[in-house]
Amino acid sequence: MLLFRSEETVNSWCEARGIPRRPLISLAQLWQLAVHWYANRLTVESRRPVPEEMMSIFESIGLTGPFWDPKSDQWTPAN
Amino acid sequence: MNDQLDTEVKLAIYRVTADTGVIPTSSEVARKIDIEEAEVLDAFARLHKKRLLVPEPGDFSRIRMVPPFSGIATAFPVDANGRRYHANCVWDAYGVAAALHTDAMIAASDGHTGEPLWLEVKNNQPILRSYAAHFAVPAARWWDDIIFT
Repeated sequence: MLLFRSEETVNSWCEARGIPRRPLISLAQLWQLAVHWYANRLTVESRRPVPEEMMSIFESIGLTGPFWDPKSDQWTPAN
Repeated sequence: MNDQLDTEVKLAIYRVTADTGVIPTSSEVARKIDIEEAEVLDAFARLHKKRLLVPEPGDFSRIRMVPPFSGIATAFPVDANGRRYHANCVWDAYGVAAALHTDAMIAASDGHTGEPLWLEVKNNQPILRSYAAHFAVPAARWWDDIIFT
């Protein structure tokens, strides 16, 4: 996972490597992912989200589709 | 029994890392919680299976990743609480601030041009900029090669 100044530099990076463009994440979405994953990580009850919880977290911040499904074996770059 | 030990080991790893910025080795964890190093190594292996840590390739006494922290210097240094931490990726860089519940400054760079970029967290909120993060692989494959992801 990499950070880019803009969508334009993402596109340039993908073109230079022959890699299809994947979905982009805004900083607001990225922060929400970090909070969901890590806010209680230093506590006794902390654990990594299970796949169903991951899907729910992704959906709650607008990340949907097979790319974000941790159990998907259907994803292809065309998705 | 193992679950309780694994939790104790995991918390010791995180406490030392939060306090020092450096992920402890198995021997340091053993001293911290006063158990045999062999027990810690077994716990490391179980925590790895649970995807809660990644051992250093070729040296299971050391930890490469205990998310969001990295055991080696990375392109995502996080300055927080007067210390420098290293995160595994930009998601984890924010994750360090989220885990420590603290303000943070994160030095990053554009993945294509190398231009320096800065991320900041203040009062439990990110300072928003028009940057974009991009995953190279889909969620189902993140752990196929987590060091690459």
